[in-house]
Amino acid sequence: MKKYFRVWKQLAVMASESYMSNRIEYGSYFLGKIIRFCFLMLMIAAIFSHTGNMAGYTKYQVIIFFLTSFLIDTLGQAAFRGVYLFREDVRQGNFDYTISKPLNSLFLVLSRLPDFLDVIFIFPLVAFLFYAFSKLDIFYNPQLLAYYPVFLMLSFLMVAGIHVISVTLTMWTMESESFIWVLRNTTFLSLFPPEVYSGSIQLFFTFVFPIIVIFAFPAKVLLGLLTLKMALVALAMTFVFFGGSLLLWKTGLKHYSSASS
Amino acid sequence: MKKYLTVFKISWARELEYRLAFFLGRSRNIIFLLLLYYVWLSLSRMTGRFAMYSADELAAYVFGAHLLRSVVFGSQTREIAWDINNGNFSNYLTHPVSHFWYMFWLQAAQRALYFLSAIFELVIFVFITKAHFFRQTQWQLLLVSILATVLASFLYFILTYVVSLSAFWSREAMGPRFLFEWILEFSSGSFFPLDILSKNLLAVFQFLPFAYLIYFPLKIYLGGWNAGQIAGGIGIQAVFIFVFAALARVVLKRGLMRYSGEGI
Repeated sequence: MKKYFRVWKQLAVMASESYMSNRIEYGSYFLGKIIRFCFLMLMIAAIFSHTGNMAGYTKYQVIIFFLTSFLIDTLGQAAFRGVYLFREDVRQGNFDYTISKPLNSLFLVLSRLPDFLDVIFIFPLVAFLFYAFSKLDIFYNPQLLAYYPVFLMLSFLMVAGIHVISVTLTMWTMESESFIWVLRNTTFLSLFPPEVYSGSIQLFFTFVFPIIVIFAFPAKVLLGLLTLKMALVALAMTFVFFGGSLLLWKTGLKHYSSASS
Repeated sequence: MKKYLTVFKISWARELEYRLAFFLGRSRNIIFLLLLYYVWLSLSRMTGRFAMYSADELAAYVFGAHLLRSVVFGSQTREIAWDINNGNFSNYLTHPVSHFWYMFWLQAAQRALYFLSAIFELVIFVFITKAHFFRQTQWQLLLVSILATVLASFLYFILTYVVSLSAFWSREAMGPRFLFEWILEFSSGSFFPLDILSKNLLAVFQFLPFAYLIYFPLKIYLGGWNAGQIAGGIGIQAVFIFVFAALARVVLKRGLMRYSGEGI
């Protein structure tokens, strides 16, 4: 474990040096993220300037959904940015060097490029979440606050699973890097409460492609709206999804032919 | 012209070659379609209206934005900046083509293909959801909104061309492009009609060229403006095209003076 932390620390130092040497590039990316956040908040503000509720939720409840979704997406980006470099590694044969290192290759692939811009972004997001929560017209319940990080952790594991599936598919078919972009784009669906969508879409994005479980369930826990049954479903799905993705990676690695090297 | 048609055909074939990437690439637009349709539907479900729009008008706006995103934004390629940074730009200098028109026709094929795909997606979507939407029956308005869309498509191409040319001065052109795209996504009105915002914010957005990419053609389609406003908007589109085309010419000329072909 100590060895992995040392490696991650070194990777983090290298990534931060890369960011510092490309200030315009990464400064623009950071500004882009802030602008995306501000515009989406503006959209919510514009919506609630014309109505009092959205699918039965008040303004600050919708903001909790939005911020939670944004937070989980940002956590995933901060931790697993290395995924976006993987396709080139496989194409150029560099992945062979990764496999031959005395470390878990999946760890190296996923954590190759920790994203500090996203880490910085997490702090204001959490501050906004506290602010929005304080504005809710509900009785302060410490239990809900305690469950929230637990469900965030489950969501993080599922996001990790999606990244693992993505790199496995990239290893198999060079075209499938876009899979991770499908996930990134699908997260947009979770910016608003799932009740906005029709029943069949909610079912699909809960049990087939569990975007709602990942991004909306933690917000529902915080709002005290998640039933025990659905909480157990989330727990079971996390174990199946994350465990399944690791099995898929192991199978993929066994069949990796190193064709490009 | 014949050589540019060949560029068009090659680009078309290239897009179809990577079919999985093409379909996954379309997923972004399909997801936005799902998101926006249901968000606006849920908001107008109670009263049949939201802000100054009826439910059918909002649906038409969302569907129209889906089509226009395809034909105006295309695939939002970053090829030009890549070419400059990697030295591939030298290829264009040695070929008997104008880089500007070469890229225009290259992207025109992508846009045409994306547009056809967007129509197909919409037909399926409307069939599945049985969605109601406002249909414009005045052919004059239809024609003018098509003209505004063509001008919007050209304006977007020139805007992105100028932004991509910043790669002549810095290897760090992808970040600014990312920033530009997000500003554009929202201020073009591709997420929501800009006039649901406050009057002050709307005035700011209408001052920028982006509002003339999606919001303006769709407002014409919905019949929200009179002849004077439409003529004024088309005129503003034309002025922006002229200004940014002149800027692109200057930037390209200056950029080429700095270009060293590094990376070949």
